[in-house]
This record gives sequence, structure tokens and C-alpha cells, in this order.
Amino acid sequence: MQYMLLINEDESIYEGDEGAKRMEATLAGHMALAQKWAEKGVAFSGERLKPGNTATTIRWDHGSHALHDGPFAETHEELGGFYIIDVDSLDDALEWAKQIPVPGKGAVEVRPVWPMEE
Amino acid sequence: MSDSADLARQCMAARPRLVAALAAQLRDLDAAEDAFAEAMAACLALETPPDRVGAWLMTVARRKAVDAIRSETARIRASEAAALIDEGEHSMGNVIALPESIPDERLRLIFICCHPAIAIEARTALALKVVCGLPVSAIARVFLTSEPAMFQRITRAKTKVREAGIAFELPERRHWGDRLEAVLLTIELAYTAAYQDAAGEIDPDLAAEMGRLAAMIAELLPEEPEALGLAALIMLARSREAARLDEIGAMIPLSQQDTGRWDFEAIEQARAWMDDAAVFERSGPYQVMAAIQLTHARRAFDGETDWQAILSLYNALLHMRPGPMIALNRALALAEVEGAESALEFVESLPLDRFGNARPVHVARANLLARTGNVRAARMALDRALVLDPPQAERLFLERCRIELSAI
Repeated sequence: MQYMLLINEDESIYEGDEGAKRMEATLAGHMALAQKWAEKGVAFSGERLKPGNTATTIRWDHGSHALHDGPFAETHEELGGFYIIDVDSLDDALEWAKQIPVPGKGAVEVRPVWPMEE
Repeated sequence: MSDSADLARQCMAARPRLVAALAAQLRDLDAAEDAFAEAMAACLALETPPDRVGAWLMTVARRKAVDAIRSETARIRASEAAALIDEGEHSMGNVIALPESIPDERLRLIFICCHPAIAIEARTALALKVVCGLPVSAIARVFLTSEPAMFQRITRAKTKVREAGIAFELPERRHWGDRLEAVLLTIELAYTAAYQDAAGEIDPDLAAEMGRLAAMIAELLPEEPEALGLAALIMLARSREAARLDEIGAMIPLSQQDTGRWDFEAIEQARAWMDDAAVFERSGPYQVMAAIQLTHARRAFDGETDWQAILSLYNALLHMRPGPMIALNRALALAEVEGAESALEFVESLPLDRFGNARPVHVARANLLARTGNVRAARMALDRALVLDPPQAERLFLERCRIELSAI
């Protein structure tokens, strides 16, 4: 079963000199996780996203739409990246999701991917 | 008991184990319940009942489940699920017989239903529905909510289990702690629902079964003081089962029970669990509730009840687990210590409009009003309790109280 792991982070944690170090450590954490998945034979894909201020949102309202500068939700946490992994159950997905490095405050949403054939 | 009623009871007794096994194979709680219901209907329609009811039901339920899956969804899914079940053909014996880290399918499924990914207010309800087989109306009653609201909550939880791919396997032991609170609550509520009427309106075997499960958890998790507390609490309640009903089946309140009919071996076992729990110095609501019941049990030995101790314990409990029912029981202890007047004042200050349909509120009010000499108001409170559909044993008791009040 495929799960999407949506990583929501507070981007401000990566600002400044300290932030740059944190970013380095976080990226290393991601590399290590990808390494683990490869070793365990967990099929995965994923991307890192540019910061929230590069986002443009198309907001729909019953057929008409408008463009907005910025991300979908107005929170402190931005969607920073995502993975899609293929594992047996939600528990496995949660176990992996807990290993995603999230310095500072944040959240990882775990959502099953709707299979094509359904 | 007629043969058909006996057969129905045998089916229901097999239900939890079979639904648990079916759910594990189908990975779908609804499908498991439906397949069991169909198999049970088929069983009751037989002219000659099968020799081994459980085995017969399992075979038929699995066949029904495969049929349902084949006809219902797209071919890909059906063949996948059918493959899953065909595979199960050989492993079925294992599902039922293999020694497990939790040696009981029912308890295992309770742990699965109490998954932290299921909304917290739905975990226990789901377990009560699927595992304990309680009707939604009874579950709504113990949660003080409406039947449609409870139905929706359970349906949503089942959908989450199915769509999110929650595994039908026991979590590793280190994750049991996340689920323990909901697991203990499930057993507590299932026991309460059964205990409300041991005279037989609900499942007569459920109380015994929940007592067994509570004891099993205490044995599996001896380092969890609240698990020991719950086991002690249920054991103490069970110690009085023989003294709870009179010869016509009316409830006998605790204070009037013949202590000679209590089960002292059970009381002793409960006390031992509480001693084990106390070592950890991590007090919790189940330990406090068990302590209250143990204080009541002491009446069998010294003939009196230490109401001051009970009131203090209720004060602590109300702090740990605030709620109208505990507040109500505390008021009844208060009446013994400070008199009915101050207890009544406290009960009237509860948000009664919110709990106006909760029978115990009216019963408690009737009791306190009668003791303050307000017989007319007490009668009215009893009448309100009686229209709220009490279980048979309680109804007989309340009707007698009503007659006694009329004689004054």
C-alpha cells in the first residue's frame, strides 16, 4: 500500500547561520532515511519543495477561480517536501514517518494513496 | 431454554472469536460482521443444528465473505481478497489455535480497535461494537450520546481502519502503552453494560468474559498499575454478583446486600492486585475506584462502612476523572457523612439539564429527597427514572421503592 508523507515545517528555523547548520543536519537525516529505505527494500519517491513564498495558489469556488500569491494554508508550517513510500500497513508508514527529521515545530501528515484501479 | 434460543446463544458466544479471526483475514471490520451475521442466520435456519457450531459458522462465514467480495468490487480487488482467503484455508487453524503474545483473539482485536490513528472518542466505541458485540444503542447510552451520533462515529472509525490500511496485527509490546487507556476503558464499559442487568436483558456472559479479560491484562502487564486496578475493580464487582438480586429478580442495593453471599476469594484476589499496584506509587482512577469498592467490601468483616474514607476517595476520583456520574456517587457518600441536605444541594447544582435523561441522576435525587422528608418530590423523581426504561432488575427495585414511598 502506498502512503504519502507530507512534511510540514516551520521554515524560519532554517534562517541565519544557525539555520544553515540545521538545514545541513536535516538534509543529512533525509539522506540517511533514503539509505535505510534502499537497504530495507522499501519502494519510495519524493521531492524537496522550494519555500512557501514561491507558491501560487489557485483557489476555486464552485466553478470560478482566482490566483493568490502564497501557499494554500495560512499557518506557520509550510509543506516542505514529500515522500511516497510503499509499505504493508499504516503502522509501517507511521514508523517510517516518525524518522523524518523535523527540527523545530512541524507535522508529518500520513495519507494513503488512492490506488489507480479503484 | 428452547433449542433455538440455546443455538442462538452458542452462536453469540462464538461471535467475538470468529469476528476477530474474519477481520484479521478480510482486513475489513464491516465485512467480518456482515459475514458472521449471514452465517448465523443460516445456522438458525437449519433443521438440524450442526455438531460444532463455531466451526460450522466459520466455514460458512468465510464462504459468504468470499461471495460478497467477488460480487461487490472490481475484479482485481476481488481476486486479491479471494487469494488472501484461499491462503487462509490452510492457516485458518493457526489463527484460532496458535499461541499468541495475547492469548485471546478478542483481547487482540480490542488492542487493534484502540489504535492511536483512530479518533480517540471512537476507539473504545469501535471495540465495544465489533469485539464485545454491544448494540450501538447500548454504546450510545454509556457515552451519554445519541444513537445516530454514535453510529456515525463507529462508521467513520471502520472506514478509517479499512481505507488507511490499519494493520490487523498486534502492535509491538512497547506500543501497548499508547493503547492501554482505551483498552481498559473498553473492558470497563463492556462490564458496566453487562453488569447493569445481570438478570439477563443484555449479554449474560459478557460480565464474566470481561472479568476474564481484565484478569488476563493484569497478568500480561503486571507493571501497569492501572491494569491491575481495573482487574481489581471488576473482581470486586463480581464478588457481589450472587448477592445482587433477590428471589424475584429485583436489584438489591449494595448497602442492603447479605455480605454472607459475597465471594471472599474474589475479594482477596482483588486486594492482592491492589497491593501489587500500590508498589508503583502511580495512582489512577481505576486504583481509586477499586479502593472505594474494597472499602465497601470491608463491611463484611467489621459490619460498618467507612463513609469518610469513601468520600475522600471520591474527592480524589472526581479530580482525576471529572464527570456527572462520579459527582453523583460522591454526593451519595457526602449524604452519609454530612447528611442528605448538603448532598441534595450539591446534586441540584449539577448541570442536570444536560444529563436530564440519565436515569441514575433521578434515582439519586429520589433517594436524597426521600431522606430529607420531601416524599412528594421523591416520588416524582422516581417516576422520571421509571419512564427512562431501566433494566428489569432495577425496574423491580424502583417500583418497590415507589410503593414504599406511597405508603408514607
